[in-house]
Amino acid sequence: MTGKKVRWILGITLAALLLVAGGSQVCFLLRYPYFRKYAAINGVSLHQARQIWGHPSEASEANMGMAVEASFENWDAVERLSRKDRHTGIGTYYYNLSNAMRGQLPDKLLDFYQPFETGLFLPVGEKSSPFVIGCAGDVWWALNYMPLAERDAMLGLLFSPAHNGSRYLRRLAESNLVKGDYEAASKYLRILMNSRADKAWASARLPENWTPEYRSLIEYKRSFLPRMDFVHGMDQTPTILRILLNSNASNTMALDYLLCYDLLTKNLDAFMADFAPSLTKSVLYEEAVLIFLASKGGMDAENFRHYNVSGNTLERFNRFVTIYRRDNGALTNLTRDFGKTYWYYYYFARRNEKQ
Amino acid sequence: MKNSNALLLVLSFLLLLGCGRSYDVRPSGERTDRAEAIFPDYREVTIPCNIAPLHFYYTAPDASRFVTVFRAGEEAFTLKGREVVWKEKRWKQLLSAAAGSDIQVESSYKTASGPVSFSWNIHVSGDPIDGYLTYRLIEPGFEVWDDLEILERNLESFGVRAISDYRNTENKCMNCHIHSQGRGDLSMFYLRGQGGGAILNRGGQLRKLTLKSGTMISPTVYGEIHPGGRWGVFSTNIIIPAMHSLGNKRMEVYDTASDLCIADFDGNRMLTFPQFAREDVFETFPVFSADGNFVYYCAAPAGNLPGELEQMRYSLVRIPFDAETGTLGTSADTLWSGPAHQASACHPKASPDGRWLLFTVADYGTFPINHRECDLHLLDLSTGEEYSLDGVNAPGSDTYHSWSSDGKWFVFASKRGDGLYGKPYFCHVSPDGSVSKPFLLPQKDPHFYDKMLRSFNVPDLGNAPVGFDAREIGRIWKEVPAEQFN
Repeated sequence: MTGKKVRWILGITLAALLLVAGGSQVCFLLRYPYFRKYAAINGVSLHQARQIWGHPSEASEANMGMAVEASFENWDAVERLSRKDRHTGIGTYYYNLSNAMRGQLPDKLLDFYQPFETGLFLPVGEKSSPFVIGCAGDVWWALNYMPLAERDAMLGLLFSPAHNGSRYLRRLAESNLVKGDYEAASKYLRILMNSRADKAWASARLPENWTPEYRSLIEYKRSFLPRMDFVHGMDQTPTILRILLNSNASNTMALDYLLCYDLLTKNLDAFMADFAPSLTKSVLYEEAVLIFLASKGGMDAENFRHYNVSGNTLERFNRFVTIYRRDNGALTNLTRDFGKTYWYYYYFARRNEKQ
Repeated sequence: MKNSNALLLVLSFLLLLGCGRSYDVRPSGERTDRAEAIFPDYREVTIPCNIAPLHFYYTAPDASRFVTVFRAGEEAFTLKGREVVWKEKRWKQLLSAAAGSDIQVESSYKTASGPVSFSWNIHVSGDPIDGYLTYRLIEPGFEVWDDLEILERNLESFGVRAISDYRNTENKCMNCHIHSQGRGDLSMFYLRGQGGGAILNRGGQLRKLTLKSGTMISPTVYGEIHPGGRWGVFSTNIIIPAMHSLGNKRMEVYDTASDLCIADFDGNRMLTFPQFAREDVFETFPVFSADGNFVYYCAAPAGNLPGELEQMRYSLVRIPFDAETGTLGTSADTLWSGPAHQASACHPKASPDGRWLLFTVADYGTFPINHRECDLHLLDLSTGEEYSLDGVNAPGSDTYHSWSSDGKWFVFASKRGDGLYGKPYFCHVSPDGSVSKPFLLPQKDPHFYDKMLRSFNVPDLGNAPVGFDAREIGRIWKEVPAEQFN
């Protein structure tokens, strides 16, 4: 074989190998688009991402997708990605958050797997994974509680592989803009302005460049900020929600999160104390009220009117109680008709201690 | 010929690409941290005659043709460009020409509205500074940590080395390294968690100690080594982390109990005292006086916390210490009253020459690092006169200070500028109590602090390198059992 022929064969082989490698890369990116995007907002290359997180699965791709879309506040996309109930904490967290953004948190709460309160607020602690920590601040940002939105962005940055992901830097910049801490915001905006991918975003957030729409958004978020200083523990979630409500009673998202927190932790006394029937309504709340009234007394028309309990909910409750008593507390005959009621959750949901 | 042309073309392209990637210096909006014409702002600062080159950049966003002329004695150097970066040899020539006097600087550049020029000085003190600075690099991360390291920086150059790090300790938590009176051969820090302990460095010999006995409310927390090396004074604290719902204090930390104790490093004993075990008084931040005959610390009446947090005002007090027996006296003198000043004293540090006591003053509490109002105060121990150091303090927490071994310089961590990240600033103290404008630790890259996302925590000066490194600490962490104290 002549040298020319050998070179030709080698060239063809190399080209074929490159084509296969390129094709395989294209296939990978088409199959896992959010893996690349999640890597990008964490400040790592695709190659580094594969080394750190391994090969993605369908579930991890969905989780990363929710995290990516939530960081851009694309709530329709988050809702679409969270629609499939995979019985994961992250899935429930984003399912609840995307519903809350539409004012549907209580109405859709029990249509989905609910791992008690951790589906509302992701636990941030020694046992939390970096992925969970990175996502935990999204709910606080949405609730306009900047101390924890900032804390979780800081922790996300701390535990992210490159320690400089734009996802966290953007949140740190914006949470400080909302607080009016321009010095702190400028620290992060300056860093972002030196990244090609973030330059335009950061530039638009320099206070002198704010559009009227962006100024309105900041002012809207500021209207929810606490007006008094309270010192609270890191994990005192209900207290924090009550602080938000004390400052702005019309913060219905905070109110719904607080009521759902009370209900998922089965704390009916707290629920009744926190419930403001004139501010928020849901069948879920009617169901919870009925358990409380039935156990503590007060099943009368006046209370039903005050707490917006409809005749339909009352009739269903009576039917639930009848079957429950008849079957000595067994759930078999209740699952089909009542599996998505608060009564069913209250009596049958058990906390998974391994979680 | 063809190949060399192609090569030139590629090189020119790469050069252009490089030029296009200069760091964006634009100040980001109103009230930002770049009001100064240069950053770091070295105008009218006093520097030691042995400091590393002062690298800086001009902050004017759309200016060009930057020229900086430095003159001292017979020496004159002209540096062109937005970034002013020295060749080390030339900087040393300039410093030696200016020792004890000034470097005169002329800055000029062009802007769209015309040329700009201004003159300024750098005062070069004849007093050299201790050559080493240790600090912990930490992201301001609310109770948790990742990739912690304690570094030792050579202040005469840009050399840095790790004296303990996450790589060698499986990402363990470690607390800050402190020298005793600026001595490189007498220092300590804590490695927390399993396999950890207090790492004591005496003359380069390392020991790992469990500084806890049955009567103590917690392991030791804050403290210092006695100049004689045998004793350590420590506080034991029940520490509660919390958060503010409003403003920029972010994380708050308070004690619900705190006492003082003495560690005997020779006898492996912890000495506790009934006068410091009272539940109605909190005592914390103990340090020794320069001669080792007293302990300074902060004390406050116990409060109902967190409700009364804003009423927690610690006073600065002093109690005798007997270096023969290791015992603390029974009655304390108040040097500075928290209630009288409606403020709280923290982190006292006595200068090794015995003249000064530097401490921080916050509105309340014991966690000044997130208190923007927190400032440094200087007490003249020979006269009792207090200096509020207005020229030193800035908006943003100023605390975690330490003295040079001769008491002529101090360093502190300041969050000025961004309010979030501690950066080490140095000041010169004259015998008459005048303190110079602080200067920021110079870095090789003038944009270093713009990119930095970690705090310099507890910067501490040392007159010599500590005789160990991160690998040795890793070995001790893995292989050496901690000595028990009782």
